[in-house]
Amino acid sequence: MSPAFLNFVEIVLNGLMTGVMYSLVALGFVLIFKASGIFNFAQGVMALFAALTLVGLQTGQVPFSHLINAIFGTEIHHWGGGMHTVFAILITMAVMIILAFLIEKIVLKHLVNQEPIILFMATIGLAYFLEGAGDLMWGADVKVLNVGLPSGGSFWWEDVTREWASTGSEYWGMYIDKLDVTATVIALILVTVLTAFSQYTATGRALRAVADDHQAAMSVGISLRTIWVIVWSIAGFVALVAGIMWGSKSGIQFSLSLIALKALPVLILGGFTSIPGAIIGGLIIGVGEKLAEAYVGPLVGGAIENWFAYMLALAFLLFRPQGLFGDKIIERI
Amino acid sequence: MNVQFSSSKISTDDGLSPGETILHVDNISLSFGGVKAIQDVSFDIKKGEVRAIIGPNGAGKTSMLNVINGFYHPQQGTITYRGEERRKMRTHIAAKQGIARTFQNIALFTGMSTLDNIMAGRITLQKRNLIWHALWHGPAQREELEHRAAVEQIIDFLELEHIRKTPVGRLPYGLKKRVELGRALAAEPALLLLDEPMAGMNLEEKEDMSRFILDVNNQFGTTIALIEHDMGVVMDLSDRVMVLDYGRKIGDGTPDEVRNNQNVIDAYLGVPHDE
Repeated sequence: MSPAFLNFVEIVLNGLMTGVMYSLVALGFVLIFKASGIFNFAQGVMALFAALTLVGLQTGQVPFSHLINAIFGTEIHHWGGGMHTVFAILITMAVMIILAFLIEKIVLKHLVNQEPIILFMATIGLAYFLEGAGDLMWGADVKVLNVGLPSGGSFWWEDVTREWASTGSEYWGMYIDKLDVTATVIALILVTVLTAFSQYTATGRALRAVADDHQAAMSVGISLRTIWVIVWSIAGFVALVAGIMWGSKSGIQFSLSLIALKALPVLILGGFTSIPGAIIGGLIIGVGEKLAEAYVGPLVGGAIENWFAYMLALAFLLFRPQGLFGDKIIERI
Repeated sequence: MNVQFSSSKISTDDGLSPGETILHVDNISLSFGGVKAIQDVSFDIKKGEVRAIIGPNGAGKTSMLNVINGFYHPQQGTITYRGEERRKMRTHIAAKQGIARTFQNIALFTGMSTLDNIMAGRITLQKRNLIWHALWHGPAQREELEHRAAVEQIIDFLELEHIRKTPVGRLPYGLKKRVELGRALAAEPALLLLDEPMAGMNLEEKEDMSRFILDVNNQFGTTIALIEHDMGVVMDLSDRVMVLDYGRKIGDGTPDEVRNNQNVIDAYLGVPHDE
């Protein structure tokens, strides 16, 4: 095989794996949008908040320590040596469930039957609140998250692919980050579990029923408020997974919450209401932007990775506003 | 897995004997801003009967059903359901207490199959909680299979076998109405509210639907309250008929009594202004 072709394969593989990371974020949006018609602007911040909490627990930070120190003049920062990663993840999950419960109780409950735009505005407020709360609880410094996932380039894969190149060519093998592979596997498991849950259990059926028709769902005895707590908890769980993956990859800092902006073109491509759409949309965006960067980038001076996704989304909006898999919008007149 | 049920599995037994009052509506008034949808209406529904609510368009019939199952909260009056008095019903709680309904404009879960739609109707009967479902084995799975067997009975009963796996969005109108009846029936309701079950149907579909309604009433002993515009159907099916006009009750009684009630005749045919 020629090095040019192997390069192409490498770009596509890396693109696919980046795409999976985008899909992880987009998935959280789709879940909430389907069940409640809310575009949750806070999804990215939820991932940041989950990751911050996880690191804080893992390293044994005292929550609100800066605030406490400022008020009482104390010097506390850490308790003991932190806790085992598994415990930290479980407790973070519990925190996300409590958060879902509070969001329903304090915000959503009072906004039932309001216009979608009002709910959207509420989630913007929620995003700022969570961002501030995260800073206040755990501090604004950049943190390193290490939950023991394999990371770094795979030498094995490099060796294998070097063999594939035609003899005599100077090809040094493909670079693949082990973390990206892990993320892909985890994302696949997550999607499989979520799909099985929604297809084969009574609670899953209730979720789908609510997504389909609120009134009819209530009439068969489904409590909308319970379903919302469940959905926001699941979205919190997805945010936690996304937070762990992105946090392990690029550290935990404020910019983590901006990955939500990367999910937007994914959603426009895949449709706001489709879980497979979120996955495939993510893959298309991932592969698209890597290929564009590699082959179109040099012609225009590079750095097109950052806006390519939005261009693609714009093109899609012109021709297929409902996305690849979204429900077709039919207005009854 | 072999799950066996006797034909009496789908039951709507609630401890009341036929003829006892299951629902009592007292002096209900409902308004939206300045529009008075229902004004001071009282009536009752007795166990085991088919109770019709009729009236011209905009008379407040659907509003009355919405009050009964908790979509609307009346400003005045009380509802007594199985001996428990209240002003406000909450929809999902009304459903848990055995009030099921269908809608005038069909409110099915269009993306789901017929089977899933009817299974969704049994949600109030499924006891296992979220954690069980998340783990989905053992008891939750057994329960799922039991409910599935009950749903198959309903599918049999309503002759929906051929469309069991079809997403309901693709079904023709008449079948959608039947699936919706199936979903309401799946909850094994004590009180079944049907909002225009035959609207927009042709004669044959109407006959089928009438037969199903009577069968539900006879075989399962389900109490039924229905709104319908087709007078022939109403007079044939119902035991008692209440007539609403402009939000007020203008007649109540057996089909014969209502047919001969001068107020009702006036409301439907209009009153001459001259002389």
